[in-house]
Amino acid sequence: MGLVRKQAPQEPEEALPEGPSAEILLSRLDDPDPDRRRESALGLVGAPEAVPAMLARVGVEEDPRVLESMLTTLAAYDTEDVAGGLAVHLASDEAGLRTAVAAALATMPRSFPAVLPSLLAAPDHDVRVMTAMILADLQHPEAHTWLVRMICQDPHPNVVTGAIDALLPSATTDDVQLLLDARERFPDDPFLRFTVNAALPRLTGTP
Amino acid sequence: MASTAATGLSDGDFIRFAEYFYKRTGIHFAAGKRYFVDKRIDTCIRNSPYDTFAAWFAALRTSDQGPMLQELINQLTVNETYFLREDYQFDAMLSTVLPNVLAARGGVGRIVGPVKILSLPCSTGEEPYSIALRLLEEWDQIDHVDVEIHGADIDSEVLAKAAHASYGERSVQRVPKAWMNKYFAAVGAGRYQVDEGIRSAVTLHKVNICDTAAMRSFRDFDIVFCRNVLIYFDELSSRRAAENLYGAMRPGGYLFLGHSESMSRISPIFTPTRLPEGLVYQRPTGAK
Amino acid sequence: MTSDTPTRARVLVVDDAATVRMYHNSLLGEAGFEVSEAANGLEAVEAALGTPFDLYVVDVNMPKMNGYACVEALRSETVGTAAPIVMISTEDRPGDADRAYRAGANLYLVKPVAGDRLVRVATMLTADRSWAAEKDVAA
Repeated sequence: MGLVRKQAPQEPEEALPEGPSAEILLSRLDDPDPDRRRESALGLVGAPEAVPAMLARVGVEEDPRVLESMLTTLAAYDTEDVAGGLAVHLASDEAGLRTAVAAALATMPRSFPAVLPSLLAAPDHDVRVMTAMILADLQHPEAHTWLVRMICQDPHPNVVTGAIDALLPSATTDDVQLLLDARERFPDDPFLRFTVNAALPRLTGTP
Repeated sequence: MASTAATGLSDGDFIRFAEYFYKRTGIHFAAGKRYFVDKRIDTCIRNSPYDTFAAWFAALRTSDQGPMLQELINQLTVNETYFLREDYQFDAMLSTVLPNVLAARGGVGRIVGPVKILSLPCSTGEEPYSIALRLLEEWDQIDHVDVEIHGADIDSEVLAKAAHASYGERSVQRVPKAWMNKYFAAVGAGRYQVDEGIRSAVTLHKVNICDTAAMRSFRDFDIVFCRNVLIYFDELSSRRAAENLYGAMRPGGYLFLGHSESMSRISPIFTPTRLPEGLVYQRPTGAK
Repeated sequence: MTSDTPTRARVLVVDDAATVRMYHNSLLGEAGFEVSEAANGLEAVEAALGTPFDLYVVDVNMPKMNGYACVEALRSETVGTAAPIVMISTEDRPGDADRAYRAGANLYLVKPVAGDRLVRVATMLTADRSWAAEKDVAA
């Protein structure tokens, strides 16, 4: 009793027990035990052959923790295939799915621009609101420019306010006119008016 | 000192900076910390090629995970490690977490296998040895339960120091004198070495917390301390690290983060639990 | 607030958009509420574990933990609050309100919500805080 050292002699760090093969992990993506599915998805990092199988399960996986681990593995690829495969779920009726997918896309700066045009043209304004959310976190030099375009061009006030929210952390005096124009386009939206009015003093440097 | 005003952060600058830093790290600076934050930012700007806050901040945002952010985090978080640091979490471990762990595993008489505690990153060893000291001196069940303490770090140099376990005055200044006499030996030049009994009871490992395959050898931990490291990672790395910690823990196991850290910016897979001593995270027991 | 109400009602505004939090904070703050903010569902759960609130105003689409999951966690044993919860969303598809009520929300509003409406709703929902004596105070 008391403090004890780990029983087995300490294994050399290089001689790690061989993990299950990608093939086995792939078959476990359908295991009834969510913990095994979660571990499989996590273990499939660096196994590009598993991408199509995981993409196919993103829309049907019901356990939020398994979904998280699949997205953690998938987002690391940052390829157009993955971005395209994830972006379709932004229109999902499942809030957990569409927000988890948005968070994953926000970590994919190389490939997200490829799916952006279709998202900006999505007929569902909620998809465009989610797109603004993604651009808020996307580490991409053009993110600011895309948000400016959304603020100028999107016809829906909720999309414009979402894009303004995403833009403000990086906004400068150059964006003042853009905000004034947005306020003028939607004079009846109290939130948009408040947001612009609250942001202006900070940007112009006047109290 | 005189140069603190050089960069002259406006209130708007401070708000934008605080929002950015919060988003990147989950660490929130209230307006009351303004003086502290201004001074540290000023240091970062003076160490950078930029003259103004605006130029420096723009470069920081563009480079994002680069060395600029690293330096900023180093400046804004206290990195120094020493014995019994953030001691209230060890209080929580003794008063609430260990009794819960024992109860969940069938009670003192019936527990099968040791209680397993992981310190990751363990750096030069102060944390795992602090855990050992507090268990030996203050946990009334230590003579009735086996406890395994593991320390792990990615850096082999700090692990070598952890194995040697000799520390300067500053590092041990919070250790009570009686404990010093009992568990440390003066080895000259103002340094004190942890005794062989404790050193040999702590198992050290080299591991990268983001490496899922390597982390697979960590299993069934009841308590994990992962303090002040996830804030250094980008979004995907911190998510993967959280997933790997989850896999290393027993269902119902407890995870302590640094006192200013929160899982809420990293991953939803853990369940937050309020203890009298503060917030802790649990791997849910629901599945398996 | 008058002397009849010794403590101001505490509201937690949960939204990933900083501007929305600021807007709701300003509206409710001016109306006399004590407002705190959380930027996603998990932050809200962590905040609620610290101190219980008298009212939660929760967005739907948020990263890390969405609004429905947040409301479920607030109602589950993780937090176990009986306080009123208002969900506010940009979504106005059929079935969304049902989903909110099933999660445990007391009211579902669609954005944009006029300021006076939010204040009236908040005032109404916090007028009777007797539920607090039954449950949250014990926690």
